[in-house]
Amino acid sequence: MTTHLGAMTLFALFVSIVFATLMRDEPREQWQLGLRLFGGLVGGGILAGWLLYPLPL
Amino acid sequence: MAVAAADHVRPSGLTCLICAAAWALPGGGHLWLGRRRKGLIFLVTLPLMFVCGLWLEGRLFPFEPSQPLVALAAFADIGIGIPYFIAKALNEGAGRAIAATFEYGNAFLIVAGLLNMLVVLDAFDVAQGRK
Repeated sequence: MTTHLGAMTLFALFVSIVFATLMRDEPREQWQLGLRLFGGLVGGGILAGWLLYPLPL
Repeated sequence: MAVAAADHVRPSGLTCLICAAAWALPGGGHLWLGRRRKGLIFLVTLPLMFVCGLWLEGRLFPFEPSQPLVALAAFADIGIGIPYFIAKALNEGAGRAIAATFEYGNAFLIVAGLLNMLVVLDAFDVAQGRK
């Protein structure tokens, strides 16, 4: 869990849970929003990582 | 619907108490307002995120007005409420800058505090009958 991907996934999980709970009232809608947020955060993170990969650092 | 919500408007003193409870104990405001499910989710998730930040060797920043970014991070850290003071009392949150997970830990600690501030605002809206 202390890898970059593990920490990012855990972070995305927490943020998704809190935002989905805050922004929706029905459990079904919370699940839908939470999964979308989680997928967006993890997928976006991986995509951004690959886009930055060719840059010399 | 708006009329029904307006029926549940609380006095401002009580609303302040609810907001203070929501800040001190993540989810406490929602539990007070009878939103048990949401309150329990916040009560578990936010302190767990804060603990993960400590586990990842993040730092609880001190209030240093001479360093605005550090002061802002400290303000965000304290947003989690009682868990912050427990961690301070246990001498946790010293941070280890050479740890690979140091920045992740900081992100977890800061975002946990900021998310709890959003939860406080949500509790305020509920207490005011807006939700």
